[in-house]
Amino acid sequence: MAPEATLSHLHRADGSATYSHNGYCIIGAVNGPVEVMRRDELPEEATIEVNVRPAAGVGSPKERHLEMLLHNTLRGIILTRSIPRTLVQITLQVRSLPEEETSCGVSPSLIILPHLLHTALLALLSASIPLSTILTSTLIAIPANSSPLTSPTAPDLLRAKPIRSAHVFAFSADGKMLLNESDGTFNFEEWDEAAETAEQVCCRDEGGVGLGEGMEVDGQEGGNLDVWLREVVNKKVQWETRWKSAK
Amino acid sequence: MATSTLVVVPGDEIAQDALPTPTGKKKTLTLGPGLRHIPPNTITTTIAGALATDNRKNAAWIDANSGRYLPTVGDLVIATVQSSAADNFNCAITPNTPYATLPHLAFEGASRKTRPVLLPNSLVYARVVNAGKESSPELTCVDPSTGNSEGLGPLKGGTIFKVSLGMARRLLLRSKGEVTVLDHIGTKVGFEITVGRNGLVHVDGGDVKTVLAVGKAIQETDEQALGEKGQKKLAERILKSL
Repeated sequence: MAPEATLSHLHRADGSATYSHNGYCIIGAVNGPVEVMRRDELPEEATIEVNVRPAAGVGSPKERHLEMLLHNTLRGIILTRSIPRTLVQITLQVRSLPEEETSCGVSPSLIILPHLLHTALLALLSASIPLSTILTSTLIAIPANSSPLTSPTAPDLLRAKPIRSAHVFAFSADGKMLLNESDGTFNFEEWDEAAETAEQVCCRDEGGVGLGEGMEVDGQEGGNLDVWLREVVNKKVQWETRWKSAK
Repeated sequence: MATSTLVVVPGDEIAQDALPTPTGKKKTLTLGPGLRHIPPNTITTTIAGALATDNRKNAAWIDANSGRYLPTVGDLVIATVQSSAADNFNCAITPNTPYATLPHLAFEGASRKTRPVLLPNSLVYARVVNAGKESSPELTCVDPSTGNSEGLGPLKGGTIFKVSLGMARRLLLRSKGEVTVLDHIGTKVGFEITVGRNGLVHVDGGDVKTVLAVGKAIQETDEQALGEKGQKKLAERILKSL
């Protein structure tokens, strides 16, 4: 199942996206570039503010941790130097979680991380914030007694219990690793293999641009994330230029 | 314009054959919004959208209809006066961004002794003269070479309507933008519109009913992306109600 995304649906935000995948649904909104508070102002760069709001209750250290990870990753892809002394505000509201979220044996903040990254990226694309590249992210879970799972759903993880280790990777369009968060016990070979699988899921094959090839790379998931993202952008452009073909 | 659109995401490299082939005198390539040049000769995108090229002007840019308006030199905008300082007005082009400065002397016929009086919240139609990222944007209401206003200046009466940035661009393209609804309405009732690139349209007409009808017509054409037939139907419906 490829993720589902709706872009630019909140009319008061500069950019917005709703993303749903594997039982997670997240609304992202981006405002920017706007005026920055004096104490946060950076003379030669844009300030990035990430707010993660949980599905229930108020933010806790878990959300602060996710915000920090998102902030550091997104700062690497936003061209902050082209919009100095401004603020880019990214708000991510988790709307729904899968039921098995807490019982699936993987840290909840790790499972949600790729979804938050994708939502933030889509909202940034919708707000036309200058970016140096795009990013795609995935979760790889290595169960104790079966083969590694790529981008598993919560019920998948529950069935494959116990999970020995879980890894989140994010890659830029040119295949550079932007983020890696790992949890559990694993050796270097396992990590290396997981990183390679994640790169195949996230990045488009060198040279091969066909949609079909992307599908083959990741048979059980159905679709390469880079290809999926381009499809989403394609839809956005079609929607924006629909007046050209309207009767 | 290229017939088949090339849809790009940030970070894509634009191939040499996708760039415009100069036909005019101008040999240097002009890069518009959404493109950046990485020396020596790589051109990459920074926003998601469709690549647009103009062979005659030797220009390339990314067409996208989303996001916040970023001031660019030469753009016509509708700004709201926020306050008056010693020798300039502070104007808002978009909400929550640093104010743009509009000098008191940048009006037609203004001098040290006869300065224009603009109260807070009044609207001005102005041209962006400086939009560097190092300073706040600067506006003007005169053409510096002639000293004439050429249609720029305070906007009196009427009201403003918000439209998408793409719609504002279409309205300023005139016939190429394919907004025919105004021509249809204009055959029966008189009104005046002013389009700001920052996504604002100012409508002034004889009475409130006309102003609202025209404004709503523009917004509806924008939201529903009406084609030629749709716009004609809309205009007929509106004229019936007037």
